[in-house]
Amino acid sequence: MIALPILAAAAPLLGSLAGLVTARARLAGVATIVGALLGLLLAVVTAVVVIPGVPIASSGSFVYVDGLGAFFAITVAIVVFLASLGSFSYVATEQRRGELSGRRIRVYFVVFGLFATAMMGAVETANLGLLFILVEAATLASVVMVPIEGRTAGLEAGWKYVIISSLGITIALAGTLFIFYAATGLVGSPDQHLTWAYLVAHARSLSPVGVRLGFLLAVVGYGTKVGLAPMHTWLPDAHSEAPSPASAMLSGALLNVGMYAIIRFVAIANGRLGPAYASHVLLIFGFLSIAVGAFFMIHRRDFKRLFAYSSVEHMGIIAVGLGFGGVLGLYGALLHTLNHSIGKAVLFLTGGTLVLAYGTRRTDRIGGALTSLPLTGGALLIGSLAIVGSPPFGLFLSEFVILRAGLAAAYPALVGLFLLLLVMVFVGFMYTTSRMAVGQPRAEVVSPYQGRLERWSAAAPLLLGLCGLLLLGLWIPGWLNSLLLHSVALIR
Amino acid sequence: MQHLTLASPAGVFLSLDAVLILLTAFACLGSKLFDRYLTYYGLQSVLLAAAAATAALVTRDDALWLLAGLTLGLKGIAIPLAARRLLVRRLQLKRDAGLALGLSTSLILGAGLCAFAYLVIGPQNLAHGLISRSIIPLSTAVLLLGALMMVVRRHMVAQLIGWLIMENGVFLGAITLTASFPFIVEAGIFFDLIAGFLIMLAMTTGIAERISSASLARPRREPS
Repeated sequence: MIALPILAAAAPLLGSLAGLVTARARLAGVATIVGALLGLLLAVVTAVVVIPGVPIASSGSFVYVDGLGAFFAITVAIVVFLASLGSFSYVATEQRRGELSGRRIRVYFVVFGLFATAMMGAVETANLGLLFILVEAATLASVVMVPIEGRTAGLEAGWKYVIISSLGITIALAGTLFIFYAATGLVGSPDQHLTWAYLVAHARSLSPVGVRLGFLLAVVGYGTKVGLAPMHTWLPDAHSEAPSPASAMLSGALLNVGMYAIIRFVAIANGRLGPAYASHVLLIFGFLSIAVGAFFMIHRRDFKRLFAYSSVEHMGIIAVGLGFGGVLGLYGALLHTLNHSIGKAVLFLTGGTLVLAYGTRRTDRIGGALTSLPLTGGALLIGSLAIVGSPPFGLFLSEFVILRAGLAAAYPALVGLFLLLLVMVFVGFMYTTSRMAVGQPRAEVVSPYQGRLERWSAAAPLLLGLCGLLLLGLWIPGWLNSLLLHSVALIR
Repeated sequence: MQHLTLASPAGVFLSLDAVLILLTAFACLGSKLFDRYLTYYGLQSVLLAAAAATAALVTRDDALWLLAGLTLGLKGIAIPLAARRLLVRRLQLKRDAGLALGLSTSLILGAGLCAFAYLVIGPQNLAHGLISRSIIPLSTAVLLLGALMMVVRRHMVAQLIGWLIMENGVFLGAITLTASFPFIVEAGIFFDLIAGFLIMLAMTTGIAERISSASLARPRREPS
């Protein structure tokens, strides 16, 4: 049993191996896709195994997968799979155009696999120290991807990313230490003291001062990774400068991993301090993030920055869902992580094709995508509608559940504010993207991809993602529902 | 390390050592020569290695000995040496001109942060007579000073040093307060630190090759 999650996490390394062996983007790309697909399948199997409520755990709990971990592993694996398909066509095109050297292509695929593995590993351990290490490792791997296209702006964005994230995550480590200190009075082996499974179970006997301080530091620290305002400043730069499939991973997967870490600390804090403390902290950060995202989305001239601010906003929504609490709030927040991951991955991959076709990220130079590139333009339009929370897509449903949770928790004023901000987001986001999709088409724009394989691997993630979002908006499969309910029970 | 009391010889040495580590952080904050930054950082790491060795001696933990050796070899010698060769010499860095705040203001702020660390941690709340009572506030103060250094210095190399100091502060807490930290975790943190240092090194040189070294100190303009 224990081999299952380990293999699921290690599967994306197949792409890394291929990257070491060959500099041909198509070959390494196929290996990456196969590895990612394998990882996704194994993650689903892992989830099926743990759904009855029996976690998979190694001795010392260094490997530990329960419902919540399995859910996040699936979320990450889906994004990695979609991004691997996108990587194939994106990198192959850049190689054909001579924009990426063989060495950079090798680096790209090697790091892609490491990045995916670190993220999968992070959600499959109970050890808070190991969680920190893997989140930091994922950060460092992703930092390498940001400047890979060789622009000076990319290097600067990468620097800003690595320095702010490292600062934040070191603060998270300090928070972990305080939690550990709060538990030193407990009996048990030191390996156990650092696992949240043990800490949650023994929450009553932790020292409240240590938990309070540790929780706050962990939220600020991992919140920097999540991009919660006001620690979000690195995010728009890094997400816009990275190659688009890497942006999809950053936005769709890495932010979730950070949120996962926060959720584990919420569970510990709830166990000791009651739900009110964590709830207030998360509501403050959440609303600030939504507001910052909403205001900065107005009239963005770089569409990848627009998507990045949308990520800030959505992380805020998830934090608000966690803050509203209760079964509804937590359920909505978890469902929203899945929906947002898929939606944002689709948008960034669409963005990748647009960047290749138009050679720019400026919104005023992109128009009529629906005519020139029907599939990409259509995905941009539908994906935008989905991401701003229009029915019948999944994000509408999860945002609605969070809204309902706010009413159930008797925060009518906050619910009103939430709605107002969402309307702002709708206008700000759709104003820009709809003009990119419709409007005057440019004659010279043609599809950047050559050959059936590239076209398919570019189109497949968009179609798969949008179908998935539609499905999640109309129907939640029984196994997903029980996985979510099981996860909710773990946090409360 | 429950049995390591404040009054035992090892406890006294550890407290003293931690104070010296704090002082090296202050020295870094109060200097503006790149060479000095590295000297003080190296010194701080050597002191940290001594702290780890003391903890290892008391707890008879082999893993801690290994950690002390790694701290001495990598943080105390290799990182300062590599940074001096590859950054300070190659980019001909001398004086740090990218100060957002004057040196004296930064020092006063640093002193305030130290007081803040004691206020937040409240040593009086910690277990009586144990070494953690003196170490936790000190390590928090070192962490905050490193963060302050990252904030008030605009030069990339100085920010890198600030991050390394922060990491030292956390490590001080980790090895002395919780000698029972699982070794795999400590080793992993170490690995991350080295990888992070190498990546930052590569990025700094990459940026320096493109733009003049003076602009390393200029904050990036936000494109609209």
